[in-house]
Amino acid sequence: MELLLMLLAVFALAALAPLLYSFTRGNTGWLLAIFPFMLTAYLLLNIPQTMTGHSVQFDWMWIHGLDIHLAFYLDGLSLIFSILVTGIGGLILLFTGQYLGNAGLIGRFYSYLLLFMGSMLGLLWASDLITLFVFWELTSISSYLLIGYNHEDEQSRRAALQALLITAGGGLLLLAGFLLLAQIGGSFSFHILRSSGRSIQHHALYPLILILILFGAFTKSAQFPFHFWLPNAMKAPTPVSAFLHSATMVKAGIYLLARLNPVLGQTELWHMLISTTGAVTMLMGAILAIRQVDLKKILAYSTISALGTLVLLMGLDTKAAFKAALVFLLVHSFYKGALFMITGAIDHSTGSRDIRHLSNLKKSMPMLSVSLILASFSLAGLPPLLGFISKELVYEAKLQAPNAAWLITSFGVLANMLMVALAATIVLRPVFSGKSGVAVKHPPSAFLLVGPIILSALGLVVGLYPQMIAASLLEPALIAIQAEVTTIKLALWHGVNPVLLLSLLTFLGGVIIYILTRLYPDHFKKPLLSQVMKADTMYDDALDKFLKLAKQITLFIQHGNLRYYLFVTLLTISGLLLFYLLTEQMAITLPVLAEIRVSDMTLLVLILLSALMMVLTGSRILAIVALGVIGYAVALIFFSYGAPDLAMTQFSIETLSIIVFVLVLRKLPKFSRLSGRLSKTRDAFIALLLGGIITVISFLVMHQQPTKEASTFFTENSYTAAKGKNIVNVILVDFRALDTLGEITVLAIAAIGIVGMLKLKNQKGTSSP
Amino acid sequence: MQLFLPLIIGILFSAGFYLLLRRNLLKVILGIALVAHAANLLIFTMGGLKTTRPPIIAESKKMIEGLVTDPLPQALILTAIVIGFGVQVFALILARRLYQQTGISDINAVKNSDVNTEQVEKDGSL
Amino acid sequence: MIISILIIPLLGGIILLLSSKRPRWHFTVNFLVSSASLIAAVIVLTQTVSGRILTLQIGNWPAPFGITLVADLLSSVMVLLTAIIGWAVAIYANKYVNAHQAGEGFFALMQLMLFGIYGAFLTGDMFNLYVWFEVLLIASFSLMTLGSTSRQTEGAFKYVLLNLVASAFFLVGIGLLYGVAGTLNMADLARKAAMMENTIVLQTVALIFMVSFGIKAAVFPLYFWLPASYHTAPIPVAAIFAGLLTKVGVYALIRVFSLIFIHDTNFTHTILLIVAGLTMLSGVIGAAAQNDFRRILSFHIISQIGYMIMGLALFTPLAVAGAVFYIIHHIIVKSNLFLIAGIVERIHGSFDVSRLGDVYKKWPLLALLFFIPAFSLAGIPPLSGFWAKLTVIKAGLDIRQFAIVFVALGVGLLTIFSMTKIWAQVFWKEQPITKEHRNTGNNPVWMELIPVAFLALLTIIIGLLAGPVFEISNRAAEQLLNHKPYIEAVLGGGR
Repeated sequence: MELLLMLLAVFALAALAPLLYSFTRGNTGWLLAIFPFMLTAYLLLNIPQTMTGHSVQFDWMWIHGLDIHLAFYLDGLSLIFSILVTGIGGLILLFTGQYLGNAGLIGRFYSYLLLFMGSMLGLLWASDLITLFVFWELTSISSYLLIGYNHEDEQSRRAALQALLITAGGGLLLLAGFLLLAQIGGSFSFHILRSSGRSIQHHALYPLILILILFGAFTKSAQFPFHFWLPNAMKAPTPVSAFLHSATMVKAGIYLLARLNPVLGQTELWHMLISTTGAVTMLMGAILAIRQVDLKKILAYSTISALGTLVLLMGLDTKAAFKAALVFLLVHSFYKGALFMITGAIDHSTGSRDIRHLSNLKKSMPMLSVSLILASFSLAGLPPLLGFISKELVYEAKLQAPNAAWLITSFGVLANMLMVALAATIVLRPVFSGKSGVAVKHPPSAFLLVGPIILSALGLVVGLYPQMIAASLLEPALIAIQAEVTTIKLALWHGVNPVLLLSLLTFLGGVIIYILTRLYPDHFKKPLLSQVMKADTMYDDALDKFLKLAKQITLFIQHGNLRYYLFVTLLTISGLLLFYLLTEQMAITLPVLAEIRVSDMTLLVLILLSALMMVLTGSRILAIVALGVIGYAVALIFFSYGAPDLAMTQFSIETLSIIVFVLVLRKLPKFSRLSGRLSKTRDAFIALLLGGIITVISFLVMHQQPTKEASTFFTENSYTAAKGKNIVNVILVDFRALDTLGEITVLAIAAIGIVGMLKLKNQKGTSSP
Repeated sequence: MQLFLPLIIGILFSAGFYLLLRRNLLKVILGIALVAHAANLLIFTMGGLKTTRPPIIAESKKMIEGLVTDPLPQALILTAIVIGFGVQVFALILARRLYQQTGISDINAVKNSDVNTEQVEKDGSL
Repeated sequence: MIISILIIPLLGGIILLLSSKRPRWHFTVNFLVSSASLIAAVIVLTQTVSGRILTLQIGNWPAPFGITLVADLLSSVMVLLTAIIGWAVAIYANKYVNAHQAGEGFFALMQLMLFGIYGAFLTGDMFNLYVWFEVLLIASFSLMTLGSTSRQTEGAFKYVLLNLVASAFFLVGIGLLYGVAGTLNMADLARKAAMMENTIVLQTVALIFMVSFGIKAAVFPLYFWLPASYHTAPIPVAAIFAGLLTKVGVYALIRVFSLIFIHDTNFTHTILLIVAGLTMLSGVIGAAAQNDFRRILSFHIISQIGYMIMGLALFTPLAVAGAVFYIIHHIIVKSNLFLIAGIVERIHGSFDVSRLGDVYKKWPLLALLFFIPAFSLAGIPPLSGFWAKLTVIKAGLDIRQFAIVFVALGVGLLTIFSMTKIWAQVFWKEQPITKEHRNTGNNPVWMELIPVAFLALLTIIIGLLAGPVFEISNRAAEQLLNHKPYIEAVLGGGR
C-alpha cells in the first residue's frame, strides 16, 4: 500500500506543482525537492528488509477479465534504481529552481518532472508486465513534454517528436512481446513468469517474444540503430538531460533486461542479440562522442556508449557481468548526472557550452572545477574513484565472456580509451587553460552547486569505501536477478592481474588519443562512420517520404470524384458477390417457363424499353416520362400479383414524384454528352454485371420455401385480434406500427430539410475558409 | 412467370446503376429512383408469388380462407415507398441547390469538399 | 423502460418543432430533453448490466409477429453512449447555434436524429432497423445542409448519395433475407439461420449486408463519403456524427455478423479481417496527409473503425469484447476532439493547423483537455484507448493473427504521430502572424469547456477503472456470442 500511496503522492504533487509555483515562485524548486529526499530516506530505510530478501508488495486487481493487476513490489533490483531516481531527482529539483529561474512555463516544467519521477518509480516497482508497460509509456510521454519544453522552437518540437516516435514505436512492439509472453507464461506477474522461465525459453515463439521485447528495451536505452534520438533530446533544458536522458529514463531498458533475465535469459539468442548490440553501441557512442565540441553533445554520446556497455553486460549474462553492471550503473549515474549539471551551471554562468571557448574555470568557478575533475576521473576510470572499480569489474566480466571474449574486451578497451581522452578533453583545457574564454556573467549559486558536488563526491567516497554498497545495495539486487545469495567484495586494489594491465593500457591509449585530437583536430571532424551519423537524416527522409506517399495515396483514394466513389462501391459489391458465387459453383436451375402471361411479357418489354430510353435519351423530359412509365408499370405488377393497396400507393407516389421532378427540372442542368465511349462501356459493364448478379441471386432465393409464421399469423389474427380486414393496412397501423411512426418521422424531417434548403435560394454560397 | 420478375429487377438495377454513374446531376437522381423501384420489386418478389389473391378478408368472414399473397412484404414496401419518396425528393432539392450554388452541372467537378487544391500544394510541414 | 428512450427524444423533437417561433427557449428545452434521455439511458443500463435482456413487444404482439425492441448489454451501452454525447453537445451547442439556426429546426433535428439512433440500437427487427437508419440519415442530411456554404452542399451531396446507395442495398438484403428465412425478426433469424442447411444463398445475403453496413460504418473501400463531408458540418453536428453515426453502422455489422451470419466465419470474417486492416491503414495514412484539424480527425475515425472491425473479425470472445470496449472509448474521445477543434476555431478563427498555434501557452486548460482525448486516441496508457487497443491486440495475438496485429501496432504509432502533429502545430507552435488571418478575440467559455471536461473526465475514468468497463464489454460480448438468452428473451422460452 505504501508504494501506491507514494506514487499517488508524487502524481498529486505533479498536478499541484503549477499552483504551488504561482505562490512560491523561486522557492518552488527546493520545496518540491523535499519530497523526493523523503522518498530516498524511505528507500534507504528499506535496505535492511531487502537484504533479507523481503520485498514490499502491493497488488490490486485492475482488470479481472484479463488478469491484469496494478501490482508493485520493491526488491533489491528496483531499490537500487529507485534510489537513483529519487535521490538524483531531488538534486535536480534543487538545481532546476536556480537554473530555470522564473522563465516561461516553469510551473508546468516541475509538473512534468514530477510526472516523470512518478512514472519512473512506477516502472521500477511494477511486478506486473502491464503495470510496467503503463508507466513505461508514461515516461515516454513525460520525456516528450520535457524535450519540447521550449515549445516555440521548431528543433525542440522535432526532437520531442523523434524521441517519442522512437520510444513509443519500440513500446508498441514491447507491448506485443509482453502480451505473447504472458500468454505463454500464463500470467502477467513477474513472480509467476519467473518460475516458468524454462518452458518459455523452449517455446516456438520465444525468439519472437525476445526480439519484440528487445525492440522496446533498445529504443528506450538508445541502442544502435535507434540511438540518434538521444543526442537530439539534448534540446531539453539541462536538468532534463541530466535526469531523464542520462541518469534514469534511458536506463529503463537496462532495468527491463535485468528484470526479465530470469525469464528470458541464459539462451544463445539472448547472448548474441544483446551483447552484439551493446558492443556496437558502446564503441560507436564513444567514437561519436570524441568528435563533438558541445559539452552536452559530448555527454550525450558518451551516455550512449555507457548504455551500450550496460546492455553488453546484460547480454553476457554472467554473475560477474551483472555485478559489474550494477556498479557501473551507480557510478555512471553519479558522474554523468554531475557532469550534466556542471554543464548546466557553466552554461548558466557563461552562456556557452562549447569546450573550445571555455577556459580557466579553476579561477572563475573553483568549486565547480573540483567537482568536474572528480566526475571526469570517474568517467575515465581512474583510481581512487568508484569509476575505477567499476571499470575493473567491467573488464573482468568481459574477459570472462562466454563467447568472443577477446573481441568484446578489445571493443571495451577501445571505448574506455576514448572515455579517458574525453575526460581529458572536458577537463584539461576548460579548467586549466589560462587563456581567456567566454566571460563569467554571474558565478553559480549554491543550489546550482549542491547537485554536482554531492554526486561527484559520492564517486570519491564510495570509491574509497566500496564495501558500503556491496552488502546493502548490490547483493540484494543480484539476488533479485539471479535468485542466489552471493557475497560481493569490492576493493580498489586487487594486485597485479590482467585487468589491471588492461587499465594501464587504457590509460596510455587514452592519453595518446587525446594528444592526437589536439594535434590533428580537423581529422576528428571528418565525417567518419558516415552511415551511422546519417541515422538522424534517414529518420527525416523516412518521415518525409512517408508524408509524400501518404498524400499520394490519399489523393488516389479520396480524389473527390463522386462518380468513382460510386463506381468503387458498386465494384466492391459485385466483386464480393461474384467471387463468392464463382467459388461456390452452384447449379442454378432456371424456373419453369410454364405460365407465361401476356401481361407479364408486355410489362417486361415496356420496362425494358423505358429503361433504355432513360439511359439513352438526351431529353430530360423524356427521361422523366420514362421513369414515370416504369413507376406505373411497377404499380401494375403489384396490382396483378395481388397487392392492390401497394399498387395504389405506388401509383400516387409516382405521380407525385414526377410532378416534383418536373417542377425542379428548370433548376437543374440539361443533359449533355459528358462521358466518352470508354467510360460508358465501363459503367455499362459494371451496371449489367451487378444487375445480373442480383437477378441470379433472386432466382436462387425464389427456390427457398421458408415457413412464414408471421404472415400466417397476420392472416389469422388481423380481424380477430386487430379488428381490420385489410391485412396490409393492419400490419402497417398495428402489427408494425413502429415502422409507420419512423416513416412519418422521415417524411417530416425531409420536409424540414427541404424547406430549409428552399429558403436559402439564390444565395451563391462562398467557400468557407 | 416467375422468371420475369427477377429479370425486370435486373433490368431496373442495371439501368439505375448506370445512371448513378453518369456525370449529370439529374441523371444520378433518376438512377436513385430506379434503384429504389428495383429494390421494392425485389422485396415483393421475395413474398413468393404463388397466387394473385390480395390479402383482404372478405366482408362476411373473420379470417382468410385459402391462399392469399404474403401481406408482410407488401406492408414493408409501402413503408419503403414512402420513405424512398421523402429521401429522393430531398436529394433532388439538394441537387438543385448544388447546381444553383455552384453552377456545376458535371459531377466530376464537385470536388471542393474533399480535395482542397490549396491544401494539396502546400507541403505538410511539421 | 425501453420505450422511454424513444419517447423522450421524439416528444422533445416535436415540442421543439412546434415551438419554432420561440427559438430562444430551444437551448433550454433541448438540454432538459437530453438530460432526461441520459437519465433514462442510465436506468436502462442498470437494469441490463447484470446480463438481463430487456424486451418490449410493441403493441403487445408477440415476436416474431410484431416489432420487438431489445435492450441487451451492447444495445444499452450504445444507448448510454448516445445519450452522453447528446447531453454534452446539448450544453456545448449554446455557443454555436444561434437563434436563427434554432428557428430553422436545429435542435429539433438533433433530437430526431438521436431518436433514429436510439431506435437503431434498440430494435430487434431488420426492416425496422432500416426505418431507423432512414430516420437518422434524413435527419443528418438535413442537419448537414443547415449551413449555407457551397462546400457544405457538395459534402452533403456526396454523403447523401453514397448513403442512399447503402440504403438501397440494405433493402435488397432485407428482401433476400425474407425470401430465404421468411422472417425479419433478428432473434427468429438467428434461430432459423442456425438450422439452415443450404447456406449458399444466406452467404450472398451476408455479403450484401456487409457492403451496405460497411458503407455506413465507413470501412475500406466504402468510406469516401466520410472525409468528403464530416468536416463541412457545423461543429456540434460534426461531433455527433463523428462519435455516433458510423458507430451505428459498426453496431449493425457486429449485430448481424455475430447473431445471424455466422455459418461460415472462415469466409465472412476473413473478409472482415482484411477490410479491418485496410481500413486502419488507409485511414491513418489519410490523416497523415491532412492539414485541417477536422480532416485529420475525420480520417482517424476511419482508422479507428478498423480496430473495431478487427475485433469483430477475429471473433473470439475477447476480440468482440475488445470491439465493444473500443466503441465505448472511441465515441467519447472522438466527439470530444471535434468539440475541442470547434473551440480552437472559435478562438483562433481557423481549422488549418498551419495557421494555428499558441494554444498551449495561452489556454493551458484547453491544452490539457485536448491532451487527454488525443493521447487516449493514440493509445497512451492508462487512458481508455490503451485498454481498447490492448484488448484487440491481445485477442489477435492469442489466436496468432500476427499480420493484423502488426498492422494494428503500426497504425497505433501513426496515430501517435497524427495526434502529436496537432499538438505541435496547434498547441505548441507559435501562431504565425499573417495578414489575412487574425484571431477572433474570443475566449473559451465555460459552457463549451464543461462538456469537454466532462468527456475528458470520462476518458480518464474509463482508463483508470478499466476493470468494470472491460467487464461490461466482456459480458456484452458473451451475450453476442451466446444466442440462447437473446433468442429466449425475444421469442419466449418455449421455443
